[in-house]
Amino acid sequence: MTVAKDEVFEAVRAALVDALGVEEEDVVAEATLLGDLEAESIDLLDILFRLERSLGVKISAADLGEHVQGGISEEDFGTAEGVVSDVGLAQLATVMPQIDVEALRGKLPAEGVMGLFTVDNLVDLVLARVTSPAAV
Amino acid sequence: MEVRVGVDLVHVPRLRRLLTEQPAIGGQLFTAGELRACADRRNTVSRLSARFAAKEAVLKALGTGLGPRMRWLDVEIVNEPWGRPVVRLHGEVAAAGARRGARTVDVSLSHTADFALAHAVVVMSGEPGPEEEG
Repeated sequence: MTVAKDEVFEAVRAALVDALGVEEEDVVAEATLLGDLEAESIDLLDILFRLERSLGVKISAADLGEHVQGGISEEDFGTAEGVVSDVGLAQLATVMPQIDVEALRGKLPAEGVMGLFTVDNLVDLVLARVTSPAAV
Repeated sequence: MEVRVGVDLVHVPRLRRLLTEQPAIGGQLFTAGELRACADRRNTVSRLSARFAAKEAVLKALGTGLGPRMRWLDVEIVNEPWGRPVVRLHGEVAAAGARRGARTVDVSLSHTADFALAHAVVVMSGEPGPEEEG
C-alpha cells in the first residue's frame, strides 16, 4: 500500500487538532506531543483511536513505548540510576533522529524520553504501520 | 526500604468526552470488574476517572510509565467491601514492579464532578522479587 507522508501528516494533524483542541498551525513536524502540544496520556489514546478510524492503522499506547524502546530490555535501555544508557540513546536516535545524542548522553532520565517524541516521529510511526502493518 | 509516590489528576469531562466519542476505549482502559463497579451510578464517569488517575499514579510511583507491552488493564483497582480501593497488578506491570522490588502498592482516590485525583504509594524492598501478581 502506498501512502504519501503528506497524507499521513494531514491525518495526524486532524487527529491532534480534534483530540487536543489545538490550532492547526500549532501542529508542526517538530512540535513535541507532550511538551509543545501538552498532550496527556489520555489524549494519546484519543489520538491513536482517531488515527485508527481515519487511516485504519491500529497502534496501541503500549506500541508507542515498544517503538521507542525498540525491543531493548529495560535493563539495557536505562542505567540503574534511571538515565537512558548509550545503547538506549542509539536506539532513540533511530526513531527520533532529531535528538542530539551527545547533548543527552548521561543526562536523559528514562521518564523524559516520551517528552522528546514529535509530530514527525508519530507520522513516521504511522507511515511505517500503514505501509507495513507488521512493523512496529 | 524505599517509599515512592505518584499522583495524578484527571479532568472528568475529558474522560467523559473520550468514552462518548470512542466507546470501545473503555475496554482498553478498564477491566470488566472496574466497569461493573462504576456502572449504574450517578457519578459513573467521575468514579472511572478516579480509577484512571490511580492507574497513572501507580505507574508514576513504579517509575515505569506505560512501558512496552504494558496495558492499562495491568493496573486494576478493586474495592474492599467497605469501599477501600486496593491495587492489583497484572501482566507486564506486575513483572516490572517485581523487577524493581515493589512490595506494597497502595492508593487513595478522590473525585468531584469535574476532577478526579489519585495518590499512589509504593514500598520498594530494594531487592528484585518474584514476578507474581498480587
